Amino acid sequence: MLRRVAAWTAAVLVGVVLGGASAWAALEIGRGNFGERYGAWSHSRATGSTAAGPYTRAIIARDGLLALSAREALYFNLTQDDQGAPLSENCSYELIGRPLNTRWWSVTLYADDSLLAQNEDHAASIDASHVSAGPDGRWRARVSTVRGDAIYWLSSRNARRDFSLTLRVYNPHRDFQASEETLPALTRLSCLGEA
Amino acid sequence: MKDAGKYVWTAIIVALLAHFAFIHAVPRVMMWVAIDRVSSEGARYNAWTFADRVTPLSRTIVRPSPDFAYSACAYDLSDGPVAITATPWDAYWSLSLYADNSDNFFVVDDREARAGAEVTLVRRGATPPDDAARVIESPTTRGIALIRRLAPDLESYNAASQVARDDVCASFGALPA
Repeated sequence: MLRRVAAWTAAVLVGVVLGGASAWAALEIGRGNFGERYGAWSHSRATGSTAAGPYTRAIIARDGLLALSAREALYFNLTQDDQGAPLSENCSYELIGRPLNTRWWSVTLYADDSLLAQNEDHAASIDASHVSAGPDGRWRARVSTVRGDAIYWLSSRNARRDFSLTLRVYNPHRDFQASEETLPALTRLSCLGEA
Repeated sequence: MKDAGKYVWTAIIVALLAHFAFIHAVPRVMMWVAIDRVSSEGARYNAWTFADRVTPLSRTIVRPSPDFAYSACAYDLSDGPVAITATPWDAYWSLSLYADNSDNFFVVDDREARAGAEVTLVRRGATPPDDAARVIESPTTRGIALIRRLAPDLESYNAASQVARDDVCASFGALPA
């Protein structure tokens, strides 16, 4: 009798652990293959939507709770550089973009815990109210641990490995089209230890 | 050994149930935690809290934007409708409402409400008060109202903190007649 109770208990416990682990894995995998992709940027129009499926809702809740629906704002996330490598504070990057057809936009750097990197550089974000394009119609921002000679800078100091960038597009104009060409492009410049 | 099959099937069925329960629970648990924090662990429902400026020390909500001044109100419709107003701001602002499963079921911004927003939040299917402003039905009894005001520097954040004093989030019955 006791053996039978132990067997049932073990079966239920194994089921709970398997179910929890598979759900967590599904969210991790879903996080990396989330929604639509525009170059290295990922985006889901279901963010914040009442029509979002349970997996989308769970992924958003983990990574961007209280996000606005696509009617108001679009969110794009970038976790890899132009060579497909995870973003790391050991590397320097250049983010190049053109003015977007939207009322306002910003790019914010988050550490791997989805919070601002623990530094006092006051350079966690760049936004449309402070960034202007050069003569070639593009703006350039450095993503690195030090500003150097960059005009616009996102500090990755203490962001460790697997940090990410979030592009927020508020009140996009009717002709706003997300594409690899219209969204900013991130290029890896160098990494510590590279010749 | 002949009983092994039923234990395996039990584990598989429980795993499937646990999988979907977990997926459904994640947004609700995250929202419960957020509602708990915004309401000061349940002590402060139906009242705005103007959040500190977003810095690397901000740990309340994931992926906060340092370019916004946030006001948050954990609403509770258990005792009836809640009146919510948002005072206008001279740059982008919006009022958004979130159900306890994280759905953003309502948003209004300065393009639609130049003079500010005024809504009466009621539980879905409940009868709104006669003198209610724009009535919005909440799919859940509890949730979060959030005002975002674009304030990318300290000066504008401080100005937003003054404007936010006029915002209202209060039980309809508690409003002055």
